[in-house]
Amino acid sequence: MPDAERIYEAMKKSIETYDSDAAVAAAEEAVAAGLDLLEAVEVGFANPIRELGESFHRMEIFLPELTMGADAMKAGVDVLERALDESGGKIEKKAVVVIGTVEGDIHDIGKSVVATLLHANGYQVHDLGIDLPATRIIEAAESHSADVIALSALLSTTMLYQRDVVELLQNKGLKDKYYVLVGGAPVTQAWADEIGADGFAHDAFDAVQVLDKAMEGRAK
Amino acid sequence: MNFKEIAKRCETGPLTESKDFLMKSVAANAMKLTKEYEVSWDGKTFVNLDDEMADRCWQAGKELFLKTGIYSMNSTRVIEFSEEEVEESLRFVQPQLAMGAGKDRVVAHHRQVEDSRKPFVFCGPFNANVHEEMFVRLNEAFSREKLVDCLFFPGYLNEVDGQLIRPTSALATRMAILYGQWSREAVRRAGRPDMAIAGHAVMAPSEIACTNEEWGLRSTDPRAIVLISELQVDDVSMTRLAYYQAYGCPIYMAFTPLIGGYGGNPAGTAVVAVASFIASAMLGGEVVHIGPQHMNYKQQTNQHSLFLSSLANQAIARNSNIIATTSHTTSGRPGDPQYAREFSALALASVTSGSNVSGPRPAEPLGFNNVSPLMGRLFAEVAHAAAGLSREAATPIVEALYETYKDKMDLENAPKGEPFEDLYDLTTLEPTAEHQAVYDQVKGELVRLGVPLH
Repeated sequence: MPDAERIYEAMKKSIETYDSDAAVAAAEEAVAAGLDLLEAVEVGFANPIRELGESFHRMEIFLPELTMGADAMKAGVDVLERALDESGGKIEKKAVVVIGTVEGDIHDIGKSVVATLLHANGYQVHDLGIDLPATRIIEAAESHSADVIALSALLSTTMLYQRDVVELLQNKGLKDKYYVLVGGAPVTQAWADEIGADGFAHDAFDAVQVLDKAMEGRAK
Repeated sequence: MNFKEIAKRCETGPLTESKDFLMKSVAANAMKLTKEYEVSWDGKTFVNLDDEMADRCWQAGKELFLKTGIYSMNSTRVIEFSEEEVEESLRFVQPQLAMGAGKDRVVAHHRQVEDSRKPFVFCGPFNANVHEEMFVRLNEAFSREKLVDCLFFPGYLNEVDGQLIRPTSALATRMAILYGQWSREAVRRAGRPDMAIAGHAVMAPSEIACTNEEWGLRSTDPRAIVLISELQVDDVSMTRLAYYQAYGCPIYMAFTPLIGGYGGNPAGTAVVAVASFIASAMLGGEVVHIGPQHMNYKQQTNQHSLFLSSLANQAIARNSNIIATTSHTTSGRPGDPQYAREFSALALASVTSGSNVSGPRPAEPLGFNNVSPLMGRLFAEVAHAAAGLSREAATPIVEALYETYKDKMDLENAPKGEPFEDLYDLTTLEPTAEHQAVYDQVKGELVRLGVPLH
């Protein structure tokens, strides 16, 4: 279908050129042309953003480009999602993730990169921000019906708060409801095991792989 | 510049969202200026040899800082500076700084590119996790090393009496007091009672509690403040800075530019690094520490970091009086030769580029006490030896060392090393024969490569 190919190409180009306006225009064209919107999301936006993520990993592009590409994708996918909602359709997500930096820690960049790459790889991501008390993280997980709680800590002093989140989940009887992923400069697999977290990721790319494996067959 | 005025601007500067500051101000301007000033990396160079590019990097970084200012994360306001304020502050930067007291008094200097003057050596556990039972002993061993000018970051005490410590808790204050007492005890035991101790106990206001003229850290001890990447400060750091400045402590300001981050490639990140050096000086930093981070590696001996450190340090050395020092973190860990090969490569690149040295430390220490005073000795010896070298002479040695570890930079697969208690005889506080053999082996390798070690 030449129309579809042209529109998918425009979507892809909007990601490659980090152009949110172009992404919205291409998405609106896809809706107007009556394309299969689920296919449009996958072919037009998801594949190119994954390629962008791989370029970022190879350091062919850098954080500003990745961020702008992710913003363009979000702008375009929002248009497709609204149209799908109206027609009773739904974009499948691998899982719903709430992510944030724990209390006492204001480091944002690493956590934001993880959020961006998870989003690019088909996860619905709610980035809660930084310096988050355990109660707020759990409240957000409950309100977003999350599958995954991802916790970042950049300091060996603040990683203690990752333990507090897991402990509070246990106290509330909610631990089995969520997959808890921990990461950050001082965090190790041994620490994850010690506090009862379900997974540990060295970096943003590892986070995608760890969650892909853990969430297999859980698309929603 | 007057600290009161800076603190005031935290509350009165233009309100800006964090993402806008990083994307529209830092990233957009860094990319534009890097291109405009033709600051680049050819993908091959380890140590920059292009003086004109170092000067362009300085110009680009200064212009970047004038456009960005510093972001106050808590007030979400930008602390802006005029060109006149920046020029005047840079004019009054002091090129030397005394630390410690009495016969243990030492002076750090601004160094030039290929300066024959020995670099100042900040050396110690460098914030590795140190267990309370070993804290005094291993810091005593570091302090015994004669080439160490200042005991550097005596280690994180993240548990006391078996209890993990929350950074804002009462236990954190108790820990900070013990940190001060035990650090002072360590230098006393080493026979250097007034030795400078660079302090960085916890990332919380309670760190102030380790300050005490009799038993703790003194007004002659440098105190560390760390900027958040890129060009950002938070209330905790500013609170500590307000206290340390008023108390009269030398200010050791650190920043960690992210390669692959908002500055982009190593050249763009060098421009951000220069802006961060200037930001540090504006905030009152008297020694400024560059500790590059990398999107793919957590350590600082990868080729990108080697180039960035050389270029940014040369820009500072050639165009300002700022006393620069470079952080040395590695993939390999103490007890394995890779650790020493890595820190030697970076020391050769940074010292010939006009920097002093801080470190070394494994980027990811395993467990407690993953540090070695003997490796601190070799680090200082290499840094001193590098002071006599040209960049051209240092480059092939850096390249040869890099070849030995380039395939083992992944932290998971890098040599695990051993903790202090396995590397040292705790009765005599001397290295074990096996650890001494690692020192002898790498020192021999370095001599054969052309490092003028004695």
